[in-house]
Amino acid sequence: MSILEVSRIAKNFGGVAALSDGNLVCREGRITGLLGANGSGKSTISKIIAGVYRADSGEIRYRNAIARYRNPNEAKKDGIAMVYQNLSLVADLKVWQNIVLGDEAKKGPILDNRSARRLAAGLVERLLPGLDVERMTYDLTPGEMQIVEIAKALAADPKLLILDEPTSALEKAEVLSLFAFMRSLTEKGVAIIFTSHRLWEVIEICDDLTIFRNGRNVGSMDFDHDEKDTEKIVGYITGEAQKGNYRKACAEICGETLLSVKGLDYAPFLRDISFDLRKGEILGIGGLAGQGQRELMLALAGNYPGVSCEAAIDGRKLELTKPAKLIRENILLVPGDRELEGLFVKHSVFDNLVFPRMGLRGQSLFTPLDRYAKECEQIIDVLAIKASGLDVPVRTLSGGNQQKVVVGKWFPYKINVLLLADPAKGVDIGAKRDLYEYIVGRVRGEGMSVVLYASDIEELVEYCDRILIMYEGRVVAALEGDDINEDKIITTSMRVGQPARERAI
Amino acid sequence: MNPKARSQASKALRSFTARNSKLLIAFGLILFLFVLGEVIVSHFLSFGQVLLTTKLASFIALFGLCQMIVIAGGGDGLDLSVGYNATMTAVITASIMDGKNESIWIAIAVALAIGALIGLTNGLLTSYVKLPPLVVTLAMSQIIQGAINVYTAGRNITGRPSPILQTIAAKSVGGFPNILFILLVVAPAVMVILYRTKWGAILFGVGANETAAHLSGVNVKRVRCVSFVISGTLAGLIGLLLIGNMGIAFKDMGSNYVMPSIAAAVVGGVSLAGGDGNYVGVILGAIFLQTLTNLLVALGWGDAGKWTGFGIVLFILLIVYVSNRRKR
Amino acid sequence: MNSGRRDAGAPDLRRLFARPEFSSLLILVLMVALTAILQSNFFETKSINRNINAFAPLVLMTMGQAVVILAGGIDLSVGPALSLLTCVLTFVMKRSDPSSGMAALAIGLAVALLLGLINGIGIGYLRIPPVIATFATSFIWLGVALFLRPTPGGESVDWFSAFYNFGDVPGASPAVKAIGTVLPPALLLVLVGCAFWFAISKTRTGRHIYAVGGNSDSAYNSGIDTAKVQTLACMINSVFIFLAALFFVGQTGSGDARMGDPFTLRAIAAAVVGGIALSGGRGNVYFALIGALILSLVNKIIFFANIPYAYQTLVGGAIVIVAIASSRANTMYNKRIKTRESIPG
Repeated sequence: MSILEVSRIAKNFGGVAALSDGNLVCREGRITGLLGANGSGKSTISKIIAGVYRADSGEIRYRNAIARYRNPNEAKKDGIAMVYQNLSLVADLKVWQNIVLGDEAKKGPILDNRSARRLAAGLVERLLPGLDVERMTYDLTPGEMQIVEIAKALAADPKLLILDEPTSALEKAEVLSLFAFMRSLTEKGVAIIFTSHRLWEVIEICDDLTIFRNGRNVGSMDFDHDEKDTEKIVGYITGEAQKGNYRKACAEICGETLLSVKGLDYAPFLRDISFDLRKGEILGIGGLAGQGQRELMLALAGNYPGVSCEAAIDGRKLELTKPAKLIRENILLVPGDRELEGLFVKHSVFDNLVFPRMGLRGQSLFTPLDRYAKECEQIIDVLAIKASGLDVPVRTLSGGNQQKVVVGKWFPYKINVLLLADPAKGVDIGAKRDLYEYIVGRVRGEGMSVVLYASDIEELVEYCDRILIMYEGRVVAALEGDDINEDKIITTSMRVGQPARERAI
Repeated sequence: MNPKARSQASKALRSFTARNSKLLIAFGLILFLFVLGEVIVSHFLSFGQVLLTTKLASFIALFGLCQMIVIAGGGDGLDLSVGYNATMTAVITASIMDGKNESIWIAIAVALAIGALIGLTNGLLTSYVKLPPLVVTLAMSQIIQGAINVYTAGRNITGRPSPILQTIAAKSVGGFPNILFILLVVAPAVMVILYRTKWGAILFGVGANETAAHLSGVNVKRVRCVSFVISGTLAGLIGLLLIGNMGIAFKDMGSNYVMPSIAAAVVGGVSLAGGDGNYVGVILGAIFLQTLTNLLVALGWGDAGKWTGFGIVLFILLIVYVSNRRKR
Repeated sequence: MNSGRRDAGAPDLRRLFARPEFSSLLILVLMVALTAILQSNFFETKSINRNINAFAPLVLMTMGQAVVILAGGIDLSVGPALSLLTCVLTFVMKRSDPSSGMAALAIGLAVALLLGLINGIGIGYLRIPPVIATFATSFIWLGVALFLRPTPGGESVDWFSAFYNFGDVPGASPAVKAIGTVLPPALLLVLVGCAFWFAISKTRTGRHIYAVGGNSDSAYNSGIDTAKVQTLACMINSVFIFLAALFFVGQTGSGDARMGDPFTLRAIAAAVVGGIALSGGRGNVYFALIGALILSLVNKIIFFANIPYAYQTLVGGAIVIVAIASSRANTMYNKRIKTRESIPG
């Protein structure tokens, strides 16, 4: 009956343990739900099962044989298919062409388009009736693309289907449709692993439940015997709440409103966001992954020329159309993806630290190496960056030290607002502590304001004076004071007690 | 030397080698070719031959500077119009100079203007209209070629370069070609600008990671546009050197330099993706290519052998230098 | 957001106009009209045939180049490859031995496929950026061509001129000659090329070429062997170049190591004018054909408008820029939603 048994899986990424002791059992014809906060390991274990990653240690038994897949295709051939977020669609092909991509039916050498269309239409009809398979994939909404990815995985006729947050882009009607389809699959004996951030979905469709926290599973339920107890489940997810040392009473240090944002809109990621930020305040941005937090940080940094917003700094009008404008107002960004957005990986530590200076007015033509070298050494000192020298390429540094370089490049500046997009992601504990010590030091010392987006709830709880919870591009709640604890954050983020919003046409 | 100093020295040597590995490989290849040439054909390694090689290579290296600037800025930058750009300035300034020194300043001004105009057009079309640089500069080279045709239609290209130019470009002093001195002045200046000024830092930053540069407040489009303007202006000036060297201007004088200039950049370690580049490497690359060409000619294989050998060696070098065999 | 699911079936005229292919069709019609106005005997058989003969080589080269670009590459060695093939053909053939023509065909095709294979290995397996990989191989092709034919010349068998003009083949019956005036060999070669691509587009490889060019990571994740597909695309290109070589050898009976040089840029430009996106995965080989016709007609128009020969090159280059700029404007009209990965949990 058990089609899959996963025991004691460990997986490390660059020194950070995503999984330390992952265990999971899936049975044929049943839907197993995986729950856990961001970074709990639930996504990592799914990817290991599907062959995307290789486990460092531990054992996977699939259909009673040890499974060690080197890539997703091997897993696919064995009947394990995973659907993730849009990694295998070609935008310039039609929907049906994408569904059969890589495994097209043919009569001899000729493509059998008719049966391909039929297969695709059949799958899509059961998942999302009305979606025309002749449409070009680039015309689809993200939700529709997700459905197409699901249909594509189903076309391979899998015995174990892994759905990694398939509903994140779907509206309620689409979700229910998907659930009906999943039921019909299980009736044929297919096993399904299902992860979602919406608690009601998991409770609704899953037969078994496994909850992950901090890289290991901390609880499991079998809904044949166990009650669907929401509080208990949330308790498993959050574990013990931590009281922060750093959080201060807002009234003490916070000053006047420094930055005011009204009606920030950037379709389709951000809708009508408004908030005020006071001097010396640390404002957190929370919510489940992918609700627009990253985009909010980038918008505040001026990365989207098409954004519409009424913003003011210190009472003066502020335009969010170009990063240079924000930098001039000392609103500085530490981007979320170090390699893609924050660093010149092949360049030296020195080059990276010194770069922002180059674009500024008043920067003299020649780079005064001596003065900068001294400054860089100061930065390395303050942030405790472990690098063998100023000249080493930044890619030789560990993730934590790389992140320190990204933060450190703003060190010599006066900072009015520091925008932090998940600064501690993939950073080891020591470096994380150093980073936050530096940041909080500047908040206390100069009254620097911070907008902090962290995927780890503990960080938000520990450092923030106020937390805005985002959901589907909007701010749905603002938590203060006693409301700042993990439980409250999670339940607000997951909209427990509220069904997924039905959107009007 | 006491042990500590010795280990420090070896550490310094190792890090120097690691950082400049591509340069050292290029230098080593050149030496290898010269030695090989000497073995096969006597007098290959003669003083005169080496200097002649460096003279011809200097022109490639100068065009290679144009390419390096455009390539370093990223965004698939390439400038295929440098050849005809230089030809055009040569053709037009020929009659301005008319073999005298008086109008040389006007000639220089005209060369700068033409080169800058071509570069600006390239820059605007690639950065702001967002057309692919490969096709734009290729089409631009054809437009310039057409303009030259129009200009020279029905008349011979008259005019000779000013004697000053001829001295600089064609003649030698004590056996050393003067153009080599030009290169020896230009190269350090370029290195200083690229590595010690904010312009160089910005250019490499834009090429290495345009998102990071943009988020740091740099105007990426403007930087790339300017890189084309610089490339075009330089190409215009090189046109003056071309006519100085040849003594007359003719329609195809520059077009044979385009592809070798790109090859020199690649061999010299400039990454086609942008973000890095060492001009010394480009110069070495140019010398390597010219040496290789000479060697193949000296082998007596004729044109056929020359081009085949050239292509094969380049292909092998590319496999070693540039292939992107990342593990999926 | 109901994303128009319901109205997916209804034809969207605005969407039709926005496609880059449509604008190139429009331009073609315009060009034909202009040429017809300027050249009084445009519609006479003799001049149509002359036009077909003039346009066919570029059409073939462009279609081949289009395939490579669709697969995500580009080929700067097509000109020298064409020259090389003419040299190979005239090297193998001996005037005195009619059967050497058959040998030439076989060997020529084999060499063509080999050229494509080498380029494909460089681009697909060795992952050398296509621009410089094909730049390097272009020298190899040139060198070998010079080796075979240091000066233009060589031999060709009598019946080979069938690839140019049926009437030139000694001993051709009047019936065959008559067919030749309505269906000139150049047109037949183009039709063969079209049929060849038609067949390929109906196979998995044809679909995969679009996938690999469109998003090679997605293609790889779907289990497609991207290196093999790119290699095949290069070899398909070679077949088109081979067809063009047949035409030229049929016409001149000789091989020339440098005759193909002008074709490289023109083929790329024509492909772009015909709506092929340089980034890969988008466009249509038949519309690339139209792009080649447009460029060729522009040259004709310049000629007949009594624009001096001197201006032709200049205007040709300017047309390329205008054409790709308008193609780009069309692409921006189609808003593409970039898919974004959410932060992994």
